[in-house]
Amino acid sequence: MNMVSHYKYVFQMQFLRNAGFFIFMALLQILISIGIVIGFSYLIPNPDTETILFLATGAPTIILIVAGMVILPQQIGTAKTDGYMEYMRTWPVNRSVILGADTTIWLLITLPGIIISSIVAHLMFTPGYDISWTVVPALLMIALTSIGVGYGFSYLLSPTASMGISQVVVFGALMFSPVNFPMDRLPEWLQSLHEVLPIYSMAEVMRASLAASTFDATMGNYINLMIWCVLGFGGAIFILNRK
Amino acid sequence: MILDIKGVTKVFRGKGESKNVANDNLTFTINEGEIFGLLGHNGAGKTTLVNQILGLLTPDHGDIHLLGESVTQSPARARSICSVQPQSQVSLGLLTPKQAVTLIGKMRMGKKFEPKRVEALFEALEMEAWANTEGEKLSGGVRRLTAFCMAVIAPGELVILDEPTNDVDPVRRSYLWQVIRDLTKYGSSVILVTHNVLEAEKAVDRVAIMDKGKILTQGDPSEVKSLVGDRMRIELSLEKEFKNIEVPDWALSPHQNGSRLIFSLDPAKVSDTIDWAKNQTDKGLVIDYSLSPTTIEDVYIELTSKKGAVS
Repeated sequence: MNMVSHYKYVFQMQFLRNAGFFIFMALLQILISIGIVIGFSYLIPNPDTETILFLATGAPTIILIVAGMVILPQQIGTAKTDGYMEYMRTWPVNRSVILGADTTIWLLITLPGIIISSIVAHLMFTPGYDISWTVVPALLMIALTSIGVGYGFSYLLSPTASMGISQVVVFGALMFSPVNFPMDRLPEWLQSLHEVLPIYSMAEVMRASLAASTFDATMGNYINLMIWCVLGFGGAIFILNRK
Repeated sequence: MILDIKGVTKVFRGKGESKNVANDNLTFTINEGEIFGLLGHNGAGKTTLVNQILGLLTPDHGDIHLLGESVTQSPARARSICSVQPQSQVSLGLLTPKQAVTLIGKMRMGKKFEPKRVEALFEALEMEAWANTEGEKLSGGVRRLTAFCMAVIAPGELVILDEPTNDVDPVRRSYLWQVIRDLTKYGSSVILVTHNVLEAEKAVDRVAIMDKGKILTQGDPSEVKSLVGDRMRIELSLEKEFKNIEVPDWALSPHQNGSRLIFSLDPAKVSDTIDWAKNQTDKGLVIDYSLSPTTIEDVYIELTSKKGAVS
């Protein structure tokens, strides 16, 4: 039997098993992303259009980071603890099919939040969106990097350790990463760290495709994402196949 | 021959120098259409062995061949030949038994899968009432039955069942044994991993008794039973948990489990034993007793309790 039909059945199995949780998460993602745009405008008194645009184009990145590196690792932790992960490994399908089906589900969860929050931000603030065609590949690439890295560390580490990382990631991404504000506000050592970590590149690529006339992403950003994406998924497949 | 295991050894290394020899030079084969019982205490190494047959773990030494090909070299092939019920509960979430079993059936057989098989299987196990109930709301026993159905709905050449009857009620247990026997009619072989020895004895064609990673003995049930010779066993229910009930001196390998006392005896001593048991009942120490031929459980207990001598 071919991989496509395997993919179909694995997708159905994984989706139906957790349908309630996934729908709840998609709703939560909508709230979080709208919250970032509106909430931060309270934090900053009289924000100018540029600040709003930073927030509005940063929110989708935050959503993708939360889904891939916070919620997904928690779910994998549960699957590891209750033995479901071990059970999946006995299925007569290629392991990358399982990973592919799960990744599709996570992509679908984030989409409503990204679309709705962008519409809300546009209607409330008209911050100057200028959506380029690159938004589709950019979104895909950022999502895959985030999901891939989430898989990588949650497969590699114990559920407790990966939960710890999740907590650091969510706090770090919101407060200490150049997602919702420009990089030059950060101290130098943090700037050099972000040149290596994927978060800054995710934010740059997202901004460049949502407001193409205001922001640019460098080739370095794309390469950075690609490397992290391969590392994450590669690590996850390696661990799924490990004996 | 479906499965050929030769000299398989698996060692888990812990911190520092500590190591646990989970499988120690195991060798056995399983033939087509055979039900093979793998019996042993908790921690005897049964599940480790199963995981190696599936290619989820690689043996440190030795080799496992499934239908003539090495599992280590093609683990993906091993997973399509074997269908498995894991020892732990499968968490179904919102999946209903019908959805879960149908999806696994399709995953194994694709378009050739007949959805009617699911209904027939549920009927055989009398679990139609729960077919459309979400997994989260099912009792442990029904979830275990669902996992069993997922393993046998589109059986591979080798079906591996790890403690399938745990949590299942006595009536459905007998249905379940029937389904297992039917599997072999269609050419599947079955590995039955269990510590429920008495129950397994009636179902298996051959058994291996494992302890501390080694196979202590293997063969068909009558061969294995002959190891303890032509003996009888008596099982007594004690009035209270008497620690020091006086066991007759002809009692062989007596052991007590709570208020249950069991020992073996030479058939020549049957009438003496009945007299003794009646006497104990008259004294009010024993509630009831039953005398029967030796079972595999007796062999199992005898072998594993003198493990020092064997290993």
